[in-house]
Amino acid sequence: MQHLLDALIEPLTGIHFQKALIGATLSAIACGVIGSFIVLRRMAFLGDALSHAMLAGVTSGYLFMQMLFGYEAHAPAMIIGALLAGLVTVSAISFVSQVSRIKEDTAIGIMYTGIFALGGILASVFSDRIHIHLFDFIVGMVLAVEDGHLWMIASVCVLVLCVVILFFRQLQITTFDPIMAASIGVPVVGVHYLLTACTSLVVVSAVPVVGVVLVVGLLITPAASAYLVTNRLRTMVIAAPVFGVFNVVVGLYLSSWIGNVAPGPMIVVVGTIQFLILLCIAPRYGLIADWWRRRQLVPQALLEDILGFIRHDGRQQVPLQDILAQVKSPQHLVRRAVRELQRQHFLKEDGQGVGFTEVGQHEARRLLRSHRLWETYLQHVGTPEAELHLTAHQLEHLHDENTVDYLDDKLGHPLQDPHGSEIPEDFIDLVPGARIKASLLRQGHQATVISVSSGWEDHPIQKETQITAGPRRDEGKLWTFVLPGGNLIELDHEAADAVTVRLDNTPES
Amino acid sequence: MHQSSKDNSGFSTKPAIVVDNLTVSYGPVPALLDVSFEVPAGQLIGIIGPNGSGKSTLIKAILGFLKPDFGSVHLFGEPADRAKGRVAYVPQRGSVDWDFPVSVQEVVLMGRYGHVPWWKDLDQLDRQLADDALDMVRMSDYGKRQIGELSGGQQQRVFMARAMAQGADILLLDEPFAGVDAATEHAILDVLEQTKQAGKTLLVVHHDLTTAAEYFDSLILLKQRLYAFGSPEAVLHRQLLSEVYEGSLRIFADLSPTTKNS
Repeated sequence: MQHLLDALIEPLTGIHFQKALIGATLSAIACGVIGSFIVLRRMAFLGDALSHAMLAGVTSGYLFMQMLFGYEAHAPAMIIGALLAGLVTVSAISFVSQVSRIKEDTAIGIMYTGIFALGGILASVFSDRIHIHLFDFIVGMVLAVEDGHLWMIASVCVLVLCVVILFFRQLQITTFDPIMAASIGVPVVGVHYLLTACTSLVVVSAVPVVGVVLVVGLLITPAASAYLVTNRLRTMVIAAPVFGVFNVVVGLYLSSWIGNVAPGPMIVVVGTIQFLILLCIAPRYGLIADWWRRRQLVPQALLEDILGFIRHDGRQQVPLQDILAQVKSPQHLVRRAVRELQRQHFLKEDGQGVGFTEVGQHEARRLLRSHRLWETYLQHVGTPEAELHLTAHQLEHLHDENTVDYLDDKLGHPLQDPHGSEIPEDFIDLVPGARIKASLLRQGHQATVISVSSGWEDHPIQKETQITAGPRRDEGKLWTFVLPGGNLIELDHEAADAVTVRLDNTPES
Repeated sequence: MHQSSKDNSGFSTKPAIVVDNLTVSYGPVPALLDVSFEVPAGQLIGIIGPNGSGKSTLIKAILGFLKPDFGSVHLFGEPADRAKGRVAYVPQRGSVDWDFPVSVQEVVLMGRYGHVPWWKDLDQLDRQLADDALDMVRMSDYGKRQIGELSGGQQQRVFMARAMAQGADILLLDEPFAGVDAATEHAILDVLEQTKQAGKTLLVVHHDLTTAAEYFDSLILLKQRLYAFGSPEAVLHRQLLSEVYEGSLRIFADLSPTTKNS
């Protein structure tokens, strides 16, 4: 215990470590907040570009002040230079992608490497004048940050936090739905430039900590980790800096304990490992959670089989034991399926077992109709008698309304399946008030004729007539309807299809 | 639903949308050429036409995003670019990032953003209006859900609620029926009908000619020019359609507005 405490406290006694810790923490906060928006806007590559473009800006700012005024490493000038370089890069990127067929990611690649390279040339040509180490610039020099840097990082942090707090709604809506944002008068382009300027600032603040190449690691990795654990933007904008601070603290300590390890890369490696761990164990969007969820899924076919079994059984309440014994699936799956059906309000449980709810009854009837229509269809296309039931059992799971209606129509709206059982009527469309074709009507239905298709001028049924469906004749091939005067007419499928009616009454109601 | 005083001002007698001789171009070929029509308030209107026929250009013009080469768009008597907030845009489902960390409630609240200056917070009334809008599309129980956890129909309803919360009188919908199943399609249609009952004017970009007659009060048939505007019976004229779609249209057996069950 004492050792651990010593290990934690010992590095803190060094002034360099203290400054590094403060600078890196502030920088990580700014990075996390802005990084959240960068991740959601898919601007990660632009962040990378901005960090590289800084090299040109910093060297220009340095040279400018040194050659004109004789200042060495004038920090404000270097920061302004970096911001200008960022601005030039962003403008060049949007210019190229707007005026040519070059897409944005390519434009970013072209412009930032160009500007980065320009910075490299400047730095090498004037290497005798520039007294900054390029290597520090590349991998950071967090243990050598000066007070000037700390002030700069702190100002950036405060500024960025103010911007995000003040313009949170604007940033949120332009990220989520730019078209809607524009339609209510939010200056979408302005907000984009504001965010880009913030990104440049944040990058400037993070370069002393982790270096140009690794800035993106501090900018987007903690934000991506936060994205994995939350589904609220507000939480993400808070979680990302927390993760970032954790990364820099752990990274700094590790590099101090191990010794002779550049802290910048250590910070980024810690961030990456943290991300990978969260990718596995994040409660909702992690891989393990995903695997578990998929394992919990019950096959739709099994759910339907259980509904079918309970309907077939006929009792109000069916004991769970009977279901487990009869439905051919592993017991744990069947139990889970029954629970799932209860969750979906298809089944309800009481002391005796499980039984249908009203919706469950409806669903079971729908499946029965699908099953019997498929059986009839299979017989129609010549499937051997012995295979009818099993094949239909597989096909009944194709039961969306269009499919079932198609079968029903193609088979001439049959009343019975091959085993002589009644096929339920099309009870989804047969609700009072619905506009349907007369061929859907079953015995006892009352309806009013709305229209008769063109081309049927001699149709025996006229518009506005009230009709009552009678029994089918000729093996179901002829529809009979009773007209108001008591006259009975017979229609074949085609003639019945030509009549559109509004259902007034069903026999039950 | 609550309405702020400026929402039910005396505009109701003016037509919702008046498009006058609208010509818009992105190059030498105009995307829209001399398009004129007038939509009375409280109608559900479908915009149909082949790909690249200028449907989205028309939407953008009504949203006030474009500077027309010639002509004008007026909404309740005001020029479109000054009537921001009177029009709500409901995006195509495919263009929304459904993984975005945002809840149903927060999306609907976005409808209020246009009414609150940037330095102020949303107040209790804004939250109330958003809740009412959610209630209207019967999505109150889902307020806390992340938007990706909803079904297609529910997602559409959330964006309809946002448009209602916006207090807009005109709703522009971009292909609300694209890529949804039949049940969802009906659920969405119910919401459209309900919104219309609430006195809103709805303009819907639509792809499916077979359902166009059934769903809309009037249709706009567009291909650069306005080919037809009026009742579905008048617009879905076989000759007209084959002219606009130039044979790229497979002939439909029956486009007349009768039944949906075949």
